[in-house]
Amino acid sequence: MSGPFRLDGGAIERGRTLAFRFDGRRLTGRPGDTLASALLANGVRLVARSFKYHRPRGVFSAGSEEPNALVELRSGAYREPNTRATVAELFDGLEATSQNYLGSLRHDLLAVNDLLAPFLSAGFYYKTFMWPRSFWERVYEPAIRASAGLGRLSGEADPDSYDKGFLHCDLLIVGAGPAGLAAALEAGRSGARVILADEDFLMGGRLNAESHEVNGRPGAAWAADAVRELASVHSVRLMPRTTVIGAYDHGVYGALERRTDHLAAARGKPRQILWRLYTRRAILCAGASERPIAFGGNDRPGIMLAGAVRAYANRFAVGTGRRVGVFTNNDDGWRTAGDLSAKGVPIAAVIDVRDGEPAAAVADARIRMNSRVVTTWGRHGLRGITLATGERIALDCLAVAGGWNPNVHLTCHHGGRPVWRDAIASFVPGDRLPGGMSVAGAADGCLTTAGALADGHRAAVAALGELGLAAAAGEPPVASDEATGAASFWHVRESRGRAWLDLQNDVTVKDVELAHREGFRSVELLKRYTTLGMATDQGRTANVLALAIMAGLTGRTIQETGTTAFRPPYTPVPIAAFAGRSRGKDFRPTRLTPSHDWAEGQGAVFVDAGMWLRAQWFPRSGETHWRQSVDREVTDTRGSVGICDVTTLGKIDIQGRDAAEFLNRIYANGFAKLAVGKVRYGLMLREDGIAYDDGTTARLAEHHFVMTTTTANAVLVFRNMEFARQCLWPGLDVHLISVTEQWAQYAVAGPNSRRLLEKIVDPEHDISNEAFPFMACAEISVCGGTPARLFRISFSGELAYELAVAARYGEALMEVLLAAGEEFDAVAYGTEALGVMRIEKGHAAGNELNGQTTARMLGMQRMVSKRKDCIGNVLSERPEMNRDDGMELMGFKPLGSGDELTAGAHLLALDAPADTVNDEGWISSVAYSPTLETSIGLGFVRQGHARIGETLRAWDALQGSDVRVEIVSPHFHDPDGELLRA
Amino acid sequence: MIIDHPLLGPRDAAEFVYLGDACLIDRPDPGDENAARLFHDYLHIRDNPAGEHRELWFHEHGDRSWLVVTRNTLTHEIVRVELARDVALARGRDR
Amino acid sequence: MPDWKLSARAPLDGHERNIGTVAVAEVTDLALVSAAVPRGGDEAFAAALAGGFGATRPVTGDSTLGNRHAARVLGMQPDQVFILFAPPDPDRPAGTVAAALASAAYVTDQSDSWVILRMTGAGVRTALERICPLDLDDRVFPLHRVARTAMEHLSVIVLRDGADSFLLMSPRSSARSFRHAVELSLEHVSE
Repeated sequence: MSGPFRLDGGAIERGRTLAFRFDGRRLTGRPGDTLASALLANGVRLVARSFKYHRPRGVFSAGSEEPNALVELRSGAYREPNTRATVAELFDGLEATSQNYLGSLRHDLLAVNDLLAPFLSAGFYYKTFMWPRSFWERVYEPAIRASAGLGRLSGEADPDSYDKGFLHCDLLIVGAGPAGLAAALEAGRSGARVILADEDFLMGGRLNAESHEVNGRPGAAWAADAVRELASVHSVRLMPRTTVIGAYDHGVYGALERRTDHLAAARGKPRQILWRLYTRRAILCAGASERPIAFGGNDRPGIMLAGAVRAYANRFAVGTGRRVGVFTNNDDGWRTAGDLSAKGVPIAAVIDVRDGEPAAAVADARIRMNSRVVTTWGRHGLRGITLATGERIALDCLAVAGGWNPNVHLTCHHGGRPVWRDAIASFVPGDRLPGGMSVAGAADGCLTTAGALADGHRAAVAALGELGLAAAAGEPPVASDEATGAASFWHVRESRGRAWLDLQNDVTVKDVELAHREGFRSVELLKRYTTLGMATDQGRTANVLALAIMAGLTGRTIQETGTTAFRPPYTPVPIAAFAGRSRGKDFRPTRLTPSHDWAEGQGAVFVDAGMWLRAQWFPRSGETHWRQSVDREVTDTRGSVGICDVTTLGKIDIQGRDAAEFLNRIYANGFAKLAVGKVRYGLMLREDGIAYDDGTTARLAEHHFVMTTTTANAVLVFRNMEFARQCLWPGLDVHLISVTEQWAQYAVAGPNSRRLLEKIVDPEHDISNEAFPFMACAEISVCGGTPARLFRISFSGELAYELAVAARYGEALMEVLLAAGEEFDAVAYGTEALGVMRIEKGHAAGNELNGQTTARMLGMQRMVSKRKDCIGNVLSERPEMNRDDGMELMGFKPLGSGDELTAGAHLLALDAPADTVNDEGWISSVAYSPTLETSIGLGFVRQGHARIGETLRAWDALQGSDVRVEIVSPHFHDPDGELLRA
Repeated sequence: MIIDHPLLGPRDAAEFVYLGDACLIDRPDPGDENAARLFHDYLHIRDNPAGEHRELWFHEHGDRSWLVVTRNTLTHEIVRVELARDVALARGRDR
Repeated sequence: MPDWKLSARAPLDGHERNIGTVAVAEVTDLALVSAAVPRGGDEAFAAALAGGFGATRPVTGDSTLGNRHAARVLGMQPDQVFILFAPPDPDRPAGTVAAALASAAYVTDQSDSWVILRMTGAGVRTALERICPLDLDDRVFPLHRVARTAMEHLSVIVLRDGADSFLLMSPRSSARSFRHAVELSLEHVSE
């Protein structure tokens, strides 16, 4: 039987037994069980301790609304806290542990909180931890943190993998209960692309939990047939174990599919998939959740929702007690009595708050109309109840039926609010639904099986019509059940002891009354003051009850009282599912330069530059400090020749009859007159006049240019140029395409660079200083016919070139350059040496183009053409940006030998206090210059050029540095540019 | 969010990059005697409508078209999507 | 005469792998050249495309087949197509296209800008569901349809060249990340 409480029938597999452990105890269940149903089948009633008072708690529901039965699943790094046992599918070898206690679940030492309950009521934190102030951080916070939280995280990285995915459909149906299945059948038969998602592993919803018939057959059997039919339709995708968690803009829904949670091991497959569902229409068939009634002692293990008790009996073949009572305010509770009786479970009593005739005859049960449960007893589980009359009834399970709340959550995700419907005493979806969504079945307040089937069918026909698809004109399935009515009965006023509302956060009726007395009457304040509805279950079984009680206290209607906002996700989603694959090295793509593998073979140290990995330096044997490698690379390059992979620079191919004019407007300096075969440095401004990027542009032909941008701004510059082309000057004939990836490009720098290149450039191309001077460019060939581009430009300040070949030849070119350069002791240099040399030369880079600097500050004011229109030209003329006492890019050297400059240091007069008033500028880039054998820096200081030779303090509180520096020219190396032109 | 591209049909907003108000198309005449003020307003002065807002989106992971998207800021409903180039031409921008 | 020779290397060294029912193979024998249409030059361009490649000009999002150089023309932007073809000289594909189109387009070699993977086999769309936001259903994305989109933060051009066959092009520098994204998807959906 797999457990002493197992009944006949149900949707479990009788032939197989699943072994599992709960708190170390070996138990067995059946395929088809949840952890909760298996525990109940074994008679395990105490499964958890409550959050605040550590009250004993048992399984309360049979679905995702479960407030009590939170457990930890699995072990080690796989441990998953706060899992609802009611939705955890049982598998062989499952390990579950109860949580939130000190000592043992049965003898929880923290249950002392329950005795302190009179002092721990709503608002307790706000009132208690106010004084003395000095206790806030030293005493109160550590104590509160120690006792806060529910389950324990493993503290290890999640070893599972997670995927994301994208699905498209005409019609999404959320929920596969009677309404969802009826809708899916109709839509599927019409040929529409349908996704039917349900959070349960068994589709059918309440049809599996009730004993109703559909089309003359048991509802569960009809549901199974419907699912079988849908599975055979190519255009229908069935997604069990999939919770639709949110409704987003324009028909996009989020859904979490649990792929391996029901398996002992994931075996390399993603545990869960977070889907983005693109839908044209959606029908919400999310059903309804039952609500309890508040009465004294209503939280003991064994007190459950009446619909859940039916679900355990009918679907899971589990009797939730040996003597079951029913406490109801509507006819639905009587169904529980009837279904359990039919299964042979003795019904001890049916207590109905309504006056009048019993709704049904129940064998051997005490029937009490117009009656109330005022308190209960039983320390670790229910043993009996006391009625208002004083009558005591012994029972071990009490099924509570307080009416049903439509699951309206997704209808509110775009700001809509539900509206109160008196006929069913519940909130139903309001008018403002997310676009394309309709609601059917119990979610829309249609609380009978017959009604849900018809409503689902109707909604599908309507949605298909909106989609322009012909409905299949099928008949809706029929069921014969009738409405159960609803009573607006929330709370037994004559309760003795605490009457619980939010079981997970331990909020009682008294707490709501206290909030009311203290003025926290709006639902939003009620929620925050009492923490009602703020636990992991979002108060799904508690909220309406609490609102009704608050409404009663304030004398307003429930509609006037309103609800708090429902926001995604509908049920908790692991953070790991939101991360998906974006973890560790897969957090983002890695871009590799053409010489990457070669550099790796050389033992290069790499640095992240955006998504690029670039060689930072190339250590050689014997070098123990990065500075040794970098100093050598600089010295050898300046002494002979060095090679650096500069492929990462953005490259944009620009063609068109108006290409020159276009560039003239993009760059601050003029390009219209650049000769074919020449390269020019260009500075780009933002429209507000601030410099934002620089690079070189070569004119390959009359209507053909190739531009380089900085590595960091490659994408932005391209985007801005497309904006200018399409939106500002759409009449210009100019065309852009990125060639960043197309060309492997190397800087070849140093006095021997020409001699090296002459060895590999094909002889028909003359690259002598006369034929190919500084700032020349040409399309040439190298190594016997391989097309290449050669640019005579220099970032290092040396005689230098950049040589580009198709990326496929990039790695080979690096090897050839070094092999051909052997006679010159050619070296490869990385980004660090590149940086040192550009600082020595005084070239501005990202640290200088930081979004605050103007052309004038960079010493380039003469470049900004006054005679033409270009982006940023007008506003670069603003007076404040052209003051004579403005900041100027300068060089800095420490006065003390061995002193080091730091980037970010502020510049102050020697005797001035370090404050904002005295701030004269800052150091932006620093390096150790092996050429000058001193630390050097670039930076900005007021009226710098007029102050060359002046001494200032470079003060850096962050890095604890305060050194005296001399203002010098920013061009430390070859200030007259003789080397470039050699 | 979904943007219904006039050439390509509905595409996920993740393929696009947002820029801002479509008034950025109306770059002032730099030769105007009030150019400095006009450019100041062009760059910094924005309406903040509760309702329909015309804004620029770039289909970076797509066909590289700049689009003018008319979006209701209250409902996020997108009521119109146009090629920005067409809008610019219609507003008299040319060379 | 220099005695140095450069040897070419494909982004993924001609990688091939079968995972489940799907074959992944790097395409290394095709050239890719962009052709931008001069303002006002649409008619001349259409004529040049017909003359040079025997292909009609596709609208953006579609592709057409030509009868020369095994060419396929991909409509990438309103004023730009990509031409995918078997190049007579792999080192100078832009020259081939420039000659074929005369001066009716601005051409740029893109052959080394992209890694091209062909995914073929039943289940290819199931794998792509894990990374590709596009709707690849037959009715929405039929044969010859082409689109650029983003997968795992990478720009990807998707071309459908068979019932169960797609060409995927992604920037060369991140080719290994792209292969990883594609193959991980296949591993995740394979039995």
